[in-house]
Amino acid sequence: MIIRKIQIDNYLCYYDTNTFELSEGLNIILGENGEGKTKFFESVDWLFNGENRELDMLVSAKKLNETEIGDSFRVRVSMTVEQYGEKSIITKSFLAKKEKANECSTSSFMIEGISENSSGERTQVDGQALLDRIFPFQIRKYSMFKGEAELNIFESDSALANLINLFSEAKHYDKYSEKGAFLREKAEKAVEDSSKLDKKNEALYKKLEGDIIYLEREKAKYLVHLNSTEEEIRKIEGNLQLAESHVSNADALETLNKRIKDIEERISYLAGRIDENYTTSLFDENWILVNFEPLHKEFAEKVSAHSKTRRELQSEFDKQKGIIEGEKKAKAELLNNAIPLPNNIPSKAIMEEMLNDEICKVCNREAKKGSEAYEFMMKRLKTYLESQVTEENETDKDEPLFKYDYTNRLDNLSISHEDNLKNLRLIRTKIKELFEFNDDRKKDIEELNEQLEKEKSEREKILGNSSIGAEKLSDVLKNYNAWQRDLKNRNQDQVDYTTKLKSLESELKAKKEEKDKIDTSSANSFLIKTRNILRDIETIFKDTKEKKFDEFIEKLQTKSNNFFKTINIDAFTGTIVFTRRNKVNRTIVEVELQEDGRTFYKPNQSLLTSMHISILFAISELASEIKEENFPMIFDAPTSSFGENKTAQFLNLIFETENQKILLIKDFLHTDKATKTLSIKKEFENVRRDKAFWVKLERPFDANNLKTINSQVITL
Amino acid sequence: MKNLFEKWKEKIPKYDIAFREILFDKLTRKGGGSEQSKEDRGKQFANNYELYIYAFFLGLFNKEFSPIPENSKKVDFSHAIQFWGSKSNRLDRKDFTNLQENIFIALIAKTDIDLVALEKGELDEDDAVKLLIKTMESYTNGGLILIKEKLEENPNYFLQPTSFLNMILETEKV
Repeated sequence: MIIRKIQIDNYLCYYDTNTFELSEGLNIILGENGEGKTKFFESVDWLFNGENRELDMLVSAKKLNETEIGDSFRVRVSMTVEQYGEKSIITKSFLAKKEKANECSTSSFMIEGISENSSGERTQVDGQALLDRIFPFQIRKYSMFKGEAELNIFESDSALANLINLFSEAKHYDKYSEKGAFLREKAEKAVEDSSKLDKKNEALYKKLEGDIIYLEREKAKYLVHLNSTEEEIRKIEGNLQLAESHVSNADALETLNKRIKDIEERISYLAGRIDENYTTSLFDENWILVNFEPLHKEFAEKVSAHSKTRRELQSEFDKQKGIIEGEKKAKAELLNNAIPLPNNIPSKAIMEEMLNDEICKVCNREAKKGSEAYEFMMKRLKTYLESQVTEENETDKDEPLFKYDYTNRLDNLSISHEDNLKNLRLIRTKIKELFEFNDDRKKDIEELNEQLEKEKSEREKILGNSSIGAEKLSDVLKNYNAWQRDLKNRNQDQVDYTTKLKSLESELKAKKEEKDKIDTSSANSFLIKTRNILRDIETIFKDTKEKKFDEFIEKLQTKSNNFFKTINIDAFTGTIVFTRRNKVNRTIVEVELQEDGRTFYKPNQSLLTSMHISILFAISELASEIKEENFPMIFDAPTSSFGENKTAQFLNLIFETENQKILLIKDFLHTDKATKTLSIKKEFENVRRDKAFWVKLERPFDANNLKTINSQVITL
Repeated sequence: MKNLFEKWKEKIPKYDIAFREILFDKLTRKGGGSEQSKEDRGKQFANNYELYIYAFFLGLFNKEFSPIPENSKKVDFSHAIQFWGSKSNRLDRKDFTNLQENIFIALIAKTDIDLVALEKGELDEDDAVKLLIKTMESYTNGGLILIKEKLEENPNYFLQPTSFLNMILETEKV
């Protein structure tokens, strides 16, 4: 699309009819400050985006002055464009009626559209629709560039992301990833419903669902924390860089800052190793059992005393009954009629082993086959084995003395804890060791802190040696130390949040797996398979979308840097870096300048402007590639911080770019000091361009009297 | 084979409601999420049962057997002993379910249960478990009283990381 003509009637300083016949390629409009450049830009902006209010503020004062009270005239901005060989005229206008001196009323504006085909046939069409068709709103937004300060598109963090979404192929995947998510959710729901039918797991399932929701919420919360912390870090780093730029001995400062950072890192490492969760260790390390041994002893004695009593009573009971079998069992065969040990001690396995080896491993004596000792052991084993099978036919014969056996379990508990006693005895030592360890680390930290103080006072000395006045310096110094402190804290937060996020994620994963496991055992397997396939499909769509998005960013970055290098030839070696960041529910793209991989926080205006313009050109070029069409770009005073040389260089560069450009600049004009007459400098002849205009106020004029203001358009 | 331990650990012991606000709410962090928060200074126990276990051992080591008064309302935190110290849901912590056995051992040692009568079937198993729980509640109550006294003496005492450990270490040999 090409703008062939812009006509401005009675719009502010443009009295009567003024026409700009534009060319393809580079159009330069020269003009001194206040002579009509910005009003030109604004009139085009009004045509594109203007609202229907305060229209009386747009009326040419000179025209109003010349008009009789009661008469009216039209204020109009009109644009003739060419697209695919078709001509279109879009006109926005309103009627101004003079009510009294210096006052008028206005009608609402109207937008007219005229479409002319290649054979010259004209048709009236809806002006707004025509405008949106030939010059889409989203592209218009990135085609107009006003001044150096008003770069809203780069300040709003989602604008760039929206733009990239618009142009990159990623947008085609939106509908798929949405559909993918929809289907996956449906499938999950189906599996969940099917799982819930299994009442056995209902409670656990509900709990898991609750846990997952809670963890997701926590995760989102920490993500927000992390994002805002990262933003703060960037802000603080920027402030520090600015402050450091005032310091004369920058190298020494950098070395010192590095040393300070090292010490701080060591301190934080040591502090991290100090484990002061003593209360937690009471449980996790069983420290609470430090004085438990006497209780264990009391328990063991009680159990063994009871065990002995029980056997005594049993033995007595059996004897009393005089049953032969009972006697057999009761026959202690022990010296002095001592009470026998429980049947199961030593255990069956050990008895068998001792019989096999023909050694009594309890008293370390031989027990050859046939010997008395061997027979004793054999008998014990038999008694034990019998005790395991005989109960059935015994019970209905006689009521036993003991209905229940608690002793066995208590015995086992006693034995198993006996082994643990040596660990209990070590607890005191372990506590002592940890205290010593912590104390040593604290001492180390103290030493490092002293060293840190030294380095910091050294830093203050260097900071004192700076290029700004002492009064301002103390401000910078005060902030500098505070910023360093903040930075340290924020960095720590960043680490904490990242760790927390990781652990939340792994916990979430575990919960989800647990839930899936229930699904696997409870839900219909066809549903599960379907769900898994849909999960995969969603992932594919999401990944592809992100990949396409990233590809576009990469392209944009390459193209932007190509422009950037050309504009800043021999001046700056940094690069423009685009970073995609995923926020909780949206994606944003951030742009920054980097030099040697380090963020360059405070670029000067000229660098910033050239960066922005480079990006705009890159966007425009990419838009042309994708839409297979060029769109014009209009810049108002884009290079006021450049200086004439760089501006010339810049103009020659953009002359080479393909699309139509309209540039409004105040360079290359010269005012004769004596006569006050304006003229165009010779240097302008060397500037490559396709067409040039000069807007200047009709002389003489009174700057304080708007009625005398009339911008003339001179085609050069 | 009967097993007292299995039966005992299904129970939920109680404590005197008088300690709920002044100790349990004050010293434990219930619910997740805010473990780092500044308000949690001094809240050294991750949950109610940690404080309960702590108070039990503290009472035990100090021989503070102090049954909950008859006229006091008894409350619990509906979490059976068998789940105390299990790893699930607690990040960066170890499992300490083994302490359940130690508590049980101490209760058997300290409770007057006629084991012979129990094995003969003359003493009901449920009644034996009741006796164990009663012992548990009494030592815990004793421990809670000790903590409360410490807190009254110095409201900031538990802000030190060593405070709870020290109280246990100070009991020395019983």
